[in-house]
Amino acid sequence: MAPPCAGRARRMLIVITLACLAIGLAPSAAMAVAPSLAGISPRGVQRGIETEVVFSGARLTDAKEILFYAPGIQVSKIVVVNDTTVKATLKIAPDCTLGEQVARVRTEGGISEMRTFWVGALPVVIEKEPNSDFLVPQKVPLNVTVMGIADNEDVDYYAVDLKKGQRLSVEVEGMRLGNTFFDPYVAILDAKRFEMAVSDDNPALGQDGMTSIVAPADGVYVVQVRETSYAGNGGCAYRLHIGSFPRPTAIVPAGARPGEELDVTFYGDATGRFMRRVKIPANAGVGYRLHAEDAGGIAPSGLPFRVINLVNAIEKEPNDTPATATLATGALAFNGVIEKPGDVDCFKFAGKKGQVFDVHCYARRIGSQLDPVMSLAVMGAGAFVANDDAVGPDSFFRVTLPDDKEFVLTITDHLKKGGENYHYRVELTAVAPKSTLSIPKVALYSQERQAIVVHKGNRMASLMTVSRGDWGGDAVLAAENLPAGVTMTAESMPANLDTIPVVFEAAPQAGLAGTMTRMSAKPVDPKLAAIPSQFNQMAEMVINAPGQSIYWKTEVNSLACAVADEVPFKIMVVQPKVPVVQNGSMQLKVICERKPGFTAPITVYPLFNPPGVNTVGSATIPEKGLETTMAVNAAANAQVRKWKSVIIASAPVAGGPAWVSSQLFDLEVAAPFFAFTMERAAVEQGKETEIPCKITMTTPLPASAKVRLMGLPPKVLAPELDLAKDTKELIFKLQIDKAAPAGQHRNIFCQAIVPMNGEPVVHNVGITELRIDVPLPPKVAVAAPAPMPKPMPMPVVAAPVKPMEKRLTRLEKLRLEQAEREKNMNK
Amino acid sequence: MLTISLALAALILPGQAPAAAPVAAAPARQVTGLSIFPPDIQVSTKRGKQVVVVQASYSDGITEDVSTKCNLRLENPALGRIDGQTILPVADGNSRVLANFGGVAAAAPLAMTQATAERPISFKLDVMPIFMRTGCNTGGCHGAARGKDGFRLSLFGFDPDGDHYRLTRELNGRRINMALPAESMLLEKVCGKVSHTGGQRMTENDEYWQTIVRWLEADAPIDPATVATCVAVDIFPKVSVLNGKGSTQRMTVKARYSDNTTRDVTHLALFLSSNDASAKIATDGLVTAGDRGEAFVMARFNTFTVGSPMVVLPKDYQFTFPASVEANYVDTLVNAKLKKLRIAPSGLCTDEAFLRRVYVDVIGVLPTAEEYTRYMASTSPTKREELVDELLGRKEFAELWVLKWAELLQIRSSNQVSYKSTLLYYNWLQDKIARNVPVNEWVQELLGANGGTFKNPATNYYQNETDILKVTENVAQVFMGMRVQCAQCHNHPFDRWTMDDYYGFAAFFSQIGRKGTDDPRETIVFNSGGGDVRHPLGNRVMAPKFLGGVAPDVAGKDRRLLMSNWLASPENPYFATNLSNIVWAHFFGSGIINEVDDVRVSNPPSNGELLNELGKRFTDYKYDFKKLVRDICVSKTYQRSTQTNASNEQDTRNFSHAAIRRIKAETFLDCISQVTETPNKFPGLPLGARAVQIADGTVSNYFLTTFGRATRDTVCACEVRLEPTLSQSLHLLNGDTTGQRIRQGNLIGKRITDKKQPLDIIDEVYVRCLARRPTEAEKQKLVALIAAETDKKKALEDVFWAVLNSREFMFNH
Repeated sequence: MAPPCAGRARRMLIVITLACLAIGLAPSAAMAVAPSLAGISPRGVQRGIETEVVFSGARLTDAKEILFYAPGIQVSKIVVVNDTTVKATLKIAPDCTLGEQVARVRTEGGISEMRTFWVGALPVVIEKEPNSDFLVPQKVPLNVTVMGIADNEDVDYYAVDLKKGQRLSVEVEGMRLGNTFFDPYVAILDAKRFEMAVSDDNPALGQDGMTSIVAPADGVYVVQVRETSYAGNGGCAYRLHIGSFPRPTAIVPAGARPGEELDVTFYGDATGRFMRRVKIPANAGVGYRLHAEDAGGIAPSGLPFRVINLVNAIEKEPNDTPATATLATGALAFNGVIEKPGDVDCFKFAGKKGQVFDVHCYARRIGSQLDPVMSLAVMGAGAFVANDDAVGPDSFFRVTLPDDKEFVLTITDHLKKGGENYHYRVELTAVAPKSTLSIPKVALYSQERQAIVVHKGNRMASLMTVSRGDWGGDAVLAAENLPAGVTMTAESMPANLDTIPVVFEAAPQAGLAGTMTRMSAKPVDPKLAAIPSQFNQMAEMVINAPGQSIYWKTEVNSLACAVADEVPFKIMVVQPKVPVVQNGSMQLKVICERKPGFTAPITVYPLFNPPGVNTVGSATIPEKGLETTMAVNAAANAQVRKWKSVIIASAPVAGGPAWVSSQLFDLEVAAPFFAFTMERAAVEQGKETEIPCKITMTTPLPASAKVRLMGLPPKVLAPELDLAKDTKELIFKLQIDKAAPAGQHRNIFCQAIVPMNGEPVVHNVGITELRIDVPLPPKVAVAAPAPMPKPMPMPVVAAPVKPMEKRLTRLEKLRLEQAEREKNMNK
Repeated sequence: MLTISLALAALILPGQAPAAAPVAAAPARQVTGLSIFPPDIQVSTKRGKQVVVVQASYSDGITEDVSTKCNLRLENPALGRIDGQTILPVADGNSRVLANFGGVAAAAPLAMTQATAERPISFKLDVMPIFMRTGCNTGGCHGAARGKDGFRLSLFGFDPDGDHYRLTRELNGRRINMALPAESMLLEKVCGKVSHTGGQRMTENDEYWQTIVRWLEADAPIDPATVATCVAVDIFPKVSVLNGKGSTQRMTVKARYSDNTTRDVTHLALFLSSNDASAKIATDGLVTAGDRGEAFVMARFNTFTVGSPMVVLPKDYQFTFPASVEANYVDTLVNAKLKKLRIAPSGLCTDEAFLRRVYVDVIGVLPTAEEYTRYMASTSPTKREELVDELLGRKEFAELWVLKWAELLQIRSSNQVSYKSTLLYYNWLQDKIARNVPVNEWVQELLGANGGTFKNPATNYYQNETDILKVTENVAQVFMGMRVQCAQCHNHPFDRWTMDDYYGFAAFFSQIGRKGTDDPRETIVFNSGGGDVRHPLGNRVMAPKFLGGVAPDVAGKDRRLLMSNWLASPENPYFATNLSNIVWAHFFGSGIINEVDDVRVSNPPSNGELLNELGKRFTDYKYDFKKLVRDICVSKTYQRSTQTNASNEQDTRNFSHAAIRRIKAETFLDCISQVTETPNKFPGLPLGARAVQIADGTVSNYFLTTFGRATRDTVCACEVRLEPTLSQSLHLLNGDTTGQRIRQGNLIGKRITDKKQPLDIIDEVYVRCLARRPTEAEKQKLVALIAAETDKKKALEDVFWAVLNSREFMFNH
């Protein structure tokens, strides 16, 4: 069961198309190459205002629009400063969701990578160095977001005035900004430099920190920010929220049904626990975050809140033992807090025999400090299933209830710890099949070709992976909301595959546009038609040691797709008329169309290899050339089937390499037409020998084939033979030169080329070995001059003639030789 | 420049008058005591015997072996006979062994049992000891891991069953000949009758040969499981003070067995001496005195090594201990030992020497000019004690000990341990030491730690080293001062530790669980509740057993918690003494047991009473480490001069004078930085941070590496290298640490700008660097040199440079 990570499921497309009269846009030639987006600055904006944001990268000259994955942001103006910089004026709605926003830039050449920026509720203040001395901090008003940099060994201090009883909350966005590896540390100090609250990491925020205090007296309080190990650098930008907003660390219950209105309790705020009545949006996904809000403001980051159609049960202490377990009648979502070290929480519920549940304990996944250990028992008996760390530190098991009984679910901390922010939520859900779609990464941690850019009148292909959760069978892919004029083609995905190629084709008259496409996969079996599917795409923003660990990543649920300006070339695969046989090969012909004047070489790459089939890594259509071939090999175990495959190609156009693909073409893998059984041979240098080869036909030959021995050592010659329909045996006569290398030569096989439909079907069949020996030294003649001449004619005397008709095996020959030798010796 | 340097080098350590060795005429010697060893004599079966040693002690503390001139006899001669010094059985009964010498009589009880009965031969009790005694199973011979010349014995006999198998079963039993035992290959080789690489180890018909023949005649049996095991070994006499070169003392060794019997194993024990030059011991246990000095003579039998101290004095040495003030128990116990050794301690050092010494030792910085002036001007009679108290309260004191512990705990980043973990771990340690948390408390917290390496940084102890056996060895070495590594493969050859002890202790660390968490850099260390350590011989599951202690009930408990609670408690006899020894070594340059992490039977403390008392006080102080440091620093022993006298010039182990110690790399760099007013810059630390504050063992610089900074690769105390090297001298002479820092700090330039006179500047340089003013002779030479130079600044900087290059600056004295 895949963990629900569709945090941005609810994100939808907001596209602000802009008239081409954007000020400053140079009327340069269209580039037809996708842009690159390196960064967005500032790293965050305040909602409810209109502000200018700089998008920097490359090939931005013909920027047309900014694509967002979530609502709430409008682009009122785009100004192209130069090829690397675009300034956009953003209007952030007052109710725009707080937190990370994902954006891409679309130009006439395509779509950029996704990058993020952050939306906050508070006005922004810029850090002013020097502020690294506790005694000389930067004075800031309460309720601001400071944007600063934590340099190497830099410690930044901000002073705020507080009245007694006033709450001071801080939260820092550092690692989450995705700029660079930056683990921030935040502390609130009093005027005497005593640390009142510190936060290095927080499970709800990753490496970023948040904390709050209530001022014990009127006075100045200082907020300190630094890299946790003083190892910052110029790239370590942070957004530090300093305000009177509530900053709880836990929430109970941590989930509700879509559209439900309920009371939730926030834990961990400096003012203590507080309850709020909240209404959950009907369309909220399972990645929803609930922001605590009161008269002091709104928390910059929400706490993860599961939205799923389950009824809540909330623990009632004491519930440390099965006897005192909280009764959860009709509820399948259990919520609570492991409040103190050693605390154990029990829930009891009535179950029916044979009920199957996926039981997830959400703790670390909902920002809790808890490392849960969860077990399930029949009331009055020992646990029959338990788990500690199935999903990261969180627990999960799938269980079939053994009886119609009352069951007790127990939750505790692995290290017997506990506290305010050790909250949890256990969900018992029926096993529900689902599909998850994604595009395999071209390169590790890269966003390359993760968006679909189709040039007008051309094609582009991508692989698409469908992970089937709890179901199996063929699947059909579908795409909704493609740009006008774009179609997607893919064959249905066979049950034994999870990745197939899909081709997007843009009509020649399609307008330049970008959309967020909803990809889906439906089972072919109509009985499974209701299985939901979701597209996931992940951009790893911060990678660091140990190994290449991911510290911050951004996930989206739609596929960015755009029609880009046309490119001056197009490729096609000439549909092969013959299959590639197992253990055989073929040459795939790729041809191109060039617009007049376009002469650059075009490199072609295979995008998809059916199981057991391998295609050469790349081939090049030379400058001004119109075609090339690609070698395709099938392994002995390649699956016999007709496959759809595709070739992609890139060629340099103005601004960089442009990508297109061929049409989907058929690639048939067939069984070989025949099998060869070859005998082994041994021979002395300078002599001749034969390699006999028995033929077993499995498919009638359309015509006679040519057979050649391959893999022979140098200076060994064998003639090419013909293989007719009814040939039962072929005998290769080998001529071994005196200088042929002595030794055991393995991997000698036959290449049989069967002509079919005017194309060759290349078989590689049979395998054998040839041993070449150095002749015995001639001293034998000196030692026994008299008898030697005698044995020499022996093989040609009457007796051996007969067996020669029935060709002798090597072993038989050796036996015969030995017998002769012994005979001679006895004389 | 070189001229000045050499001039200064010759001038180090002025102002310390050598103390005279007080010698007085001694009164005539009288016998004051007579002892028979062993003090209770038991002889059992007709094969039993006992070597008896009689020792006389004299009024001046000298002892003499009078075994052969004391009229040794049995009270009831019918029970046995005396052959030389050996008592042999005749009949059963109880009696006494009597001796008298110099007018003093002595008696020891004697019990003869089963005097006419034969004792059945035992492979483990009779045959195995022979292989050790004759050297067959040493590492160089058949005890090597792969044996020698095709025949293997377990090293020092740790695996008797395996040895029995190899003797009787390997090579189809061709090593022994049951029909003709005397013609066994084993015996023919060992007697040199056939070629034997190891030469002749015994002679035909000697005692060992006969034992083996007897065993073979009995069909080479293996012992039944009920055979007694050796539980203790004693060597006698317990203490000897030999009078001059050539005097001798016979030793006798007795083994005690699990069935409450004893045996004389003098003829089976292997004798060793820690100092052959002073007391050489022969294979039969006869010690012959050599040069004046101390030795520890040891007998090894079974898995036990036992020792007895020997003091060798010049013949008829006349000595009176000088009157001296004793500040506390440290002085009392040090002086008591010196009295035994007839060594007169040096006098107290000067105030200037004390000031510099105590600053460098306690807080790792030099006194500033103001501190120097203030201290020198003080007339308080207890100003030294006051200074110690003041320094103990300073933050730098904690930092210096954090550094020390960081070395022992190997705090350093690696591919497995992130810098963040390292820094958090270091800060955790710093917090404990700065708040003077009792050592036992934080050691228990450290060794019993569970949780994330970020959230509970103490768990990094188990992340720096993840190998169970390495952790075992590290804990034993750091917190108990013991190197138990040997016992991983065989019983410790020079200590009491067996493989059972080793794997029993390792079993405490066999249930450490580790798992990842949200942050890829963090690891959670927890009690996995499962996992055992198995003995490599026989694959037995080992029950956790404290090293040198009991086997606690571990069922359902966190083994590490049990272990840490025992380890850092008075129940563990090694913890407090080991920590005291580490502290002592810091202030004296060598431990009472030296090296501090080489505690073993065969490396006894130079002053056991002192070490025990320090350990006891430390325990009584509830492991308050500052109190221990105070006791040491206010003692007169610590305040002694480095100048020696005739009686203590050879002494390196008894603290009769202060040692000249090279300043440790980090402290030395801090001192240079301090006197030149040039701040340091280390990665991960702000400008001006001191080298002792470097958290991560992998951070270093050229200077620190050259001067022997510990890399924290191992827990060994030897990682900090303090020996002076040529590259150190060359670096100070030519490197960028002295010359460049002098120019960078521009101290001389500033003083010249302030219109200071050259002599005043020299004065200040001396006070800053050496905590003393220049002597008149130095002043004269330096003034003359400066007068000859036109560029006064350069000349004064040369003086500064020369001072920094003087041995007086580089050493703490």
